[in-house]
Amino acid sequence: MSDNQGGFFANLRRPSVKYSLLTLLVVGFAAGVVFWGGFNTVLEATNTEKFCISCHEMRDNVYVEYKETIHYTNRTGVRAVCSDCHVPKDWTYKMIRKIQASKEVYGKIMGTIDTKEKFEANRLRLAQNEWARMKAADSRECRNCHSFDYMNIEKQKARAAKMHKIALDDKKTCIDCHKGIAHHKPKNMPEDDEDE
Amino acid sequence: MKKSILSLSVMGAVLALGSSAAFAAPDWSKVPKRDVQVFHAGVTPIEWVLKKSDHSGRTGLVKGESCVGCHEEKGGLNFEMKKLSGKEIEPAGAPKTMNFPVAVQTAYDASNLYVRLTFKAPAGGFDHGDKENDVKATVMFANDQVTLDAGGKPVAAAQVGCWATCHTDARTMPGADDKKTKYSKTGAYELMQWKSAKGAKAVDGSVSDSRKMEGGTAGVTATGENKGGEYTVTFTRKLAGAVAAGKAVPMGIAIHADKASGRFHHVSMGYTLGIGADGDIKAAKQ
Repeated sequence: MSDNQGGFFANLRRPSVKYSLLTLLVVGFAAGVVFWGGFNTVLEATNTEKFCISCHEMRDNVYVEYKETIHYTNRTGVRAVCSDCHVPKDWTYKMIRKIQASKEVYGKIMGTIDTKEKFEANRLRLAQNEWARMKAADSRECRNCHSFDYMNIEKQKARAAKMHKIALDDKKTCIDCHKGIAHHKPKNMPEDDEDE
Repeated sequence: MKKSILSLSVMGAVLALGSSAAFAAPDWSKVPKRDVQVFHAGVTPIEWVLKKSDHSGRTGLVKGESCVGCHEEKGGLNFEMKKLSGKEIEPAGAPKTMNFPVAVQTAYDASNLYVRLTFKAPAGGFDHGDKENDVKATVMFANDQVTLDAGGKPVAAAQVGCWATCHTDARTMPGADDKKTKYSKTGAYELMQWKSAKGAKAVDGSVSDSRKMEGGTAGVTATGENKGGEYTVTFTRKLAGAVAAGKAVPMGIAIHADKASGRFHHVSMGYTLGIGADGDIKAAKQ
């Protein structure tokens, strides 16, 4: 038995007897593409709305709140699902985020927010985590769809136009003001969260 | 000679007595109307307005913007009405009509300010606590000393109108002290109110550390009539105190419709009333 195993690994380390280098490269390349495609498909599956709400923690809490908002349903049907805001589109940032998200699997197993009471108790902390991540990335996920540079402020009503002009002047980022755009704001937000 | 002097002085006396009434009232058909929206504000006291996590517009206020500057659009209102009438902001119950227009006419002469409000008071209110008065119409004017503190930065009455008197702990607010009325931490407001009950006296009062429904020195008189649901309320008061010629006086309007009491009034945002000066609403000189 060990002989066979030894033989297998020994074979891997020996130069190919039967197949040409080109064959090996082409087959290897094709296998890589298939593997990469498979990896990507599974990864993108974890970015779908359906996947996110497969956990009741999300489905029964933040999803219900999101369903009341314009990002869920609107006149044009152009929407933003969970991953559009919470998962970066750029590959490097996406990978970093996905590795960080493995912590959430731990949380799921441990049931840290598996009841409504536990969720509400943690809402502020979880929200602040996300706000901090978005602020550090200069609201990159918002800008995936909402380009500030191409925003026609003249077409906006006074309420939006004036605030966006202030945002431009004060070099603010989207999440500075647009907290609570998709989910309810926590009730106990501290005053010092507010920067002017 | 004596006779003519006598009749002259009699004429003079009659004229003097009559003038306060006769020459006072402006020709309202010549005074321009300015529509002002009044709306059910729910539980949005000044503490809420100045808390950024509740009201991001606070950033605008700190920069000198007024409520009207963002929230009035082409004579209408720009609010998230769904949010304003929802359970979070209005835990008790919202009225069927969240906002309606009040046509405001203002005029002044050497001694008086005249304010006429024309509006259709809607039914379908949530609160009917004032059994005696179908409708009440109130106007408040802020004096120079009213100022708010937004984290060390000042916000003027000219920006917020009457909102400086609206506090989270005032009576009829959720969980508030039943004995605490409207109050302003700084400065004072002059208040005038018309009540629809037969024979009700016009209210000439003020709001400083509490709301006083009498003791005002503005000599307020008020008349009102109801023509098929359309109310016309006319106030006359002296040009004195906070309301003086040459000034832009911050003011606000409140209508208690459908026997409403306490906080269940439709209120306007703050507007500056220009009395021989620039303002959101300019009083016509008589």
